[in-house]
Amino acid sequence: MSEISTVLDILSNIVLIIGLIFVFLGMLGLLRLPDVYNRMHATTKIGTLGAFCVMLSILLKVGFTPMGVKALTVGLFLLLTAPIAAHMIGRAAHRHGVKLCKESIIDEYGKSYK
Amino acid sequence: MKRYLLYSIPLALLWCFVHGDVTILNFLFGLVLGPFVIRPFKSLYKFDKEVSFKDATARIPKEIKYFVILIIEIAKASIAVGKVVIQPKIDIKPGIIAVPIDSKTNLGITAIANTITLTPGTLTLDVSDDRSVLYVHCIDASDPDDIRESIRNDLEKYTLEAFE
Repeated sequence: MSEISTVLDILSNIVLIIGLIFVFLGMLGLLRLPDVYNRMHATTKIGTLGAFCVMLSILLKVGFTPMGVKALTVGLFLLLTAPIAAHMIGRAAHRHGVKLCKESIIDEYGKSYK
Repeated sequence: MKRYLLYSIPLALLWCFVHGDVTILNFLFGLVLGPFVIRPFKSLYKFDKEVSFKDATARIPKEIKYFVILIIEIAKASIAVGKVVIQPKIDIKPGIIAVPIDSKTNLGITAIANTITLTPGTLTLDVSDDRSVLYVHCIDASDPDDIRESIRNDLEKYTLEAFE
């Protein structure tokens, strides 16, 4: 029994570290990428996975206790809500006239509303 | 009444998960609370359409399959964006392209839009007014036709199966 809990503990720490690495990469992307749309790529995708990994690590550490189940629920809600937030921020930014960065090569959205 | 019960089941499960204790008593309490949540948001639910318990349960395997694919795609997406981020010099060709979609229902469009956002290099910005085109921001838009193809063939197939 104690061996299983040791394995789960190690696994939980590994998942936690992976999650934190992803969160770090997300923040690095937020700082380094050129414009709001590219930055959102970094924060939604990597941030979501990073936070989900942290929640998974809590679940592995405490098992299916009330705390673990709540962590899993929070993780699932992150998966559901992060894309919607990104969608609304991107839409609002484009409609307020935030330009795409100069490396951009195509914009088929600009002519669809006016 | 039957519909209230059917739509309450997911809410009751959610209640169990948020509460932390997954027990029969909690589930029944969630089932009692469900209709009070559903009543104010009645217009979001399909009360005019014929539904059955059998139909709803038959879809569960497909939804699980969709969920597994979604998790794999998110992992791939994060690694792809992570690679871009740690390059010494950021070399990207971003752009916004229009992607026509087949989904017709609100749920289907929401599902495909969220899936696109969580998969490699793409981010949904808006839906056109006639709800047939999604505007997608790509981190690498050098080949728009290829992206359209991959969204239609790989992703939309699964969301159509699971949610329509």
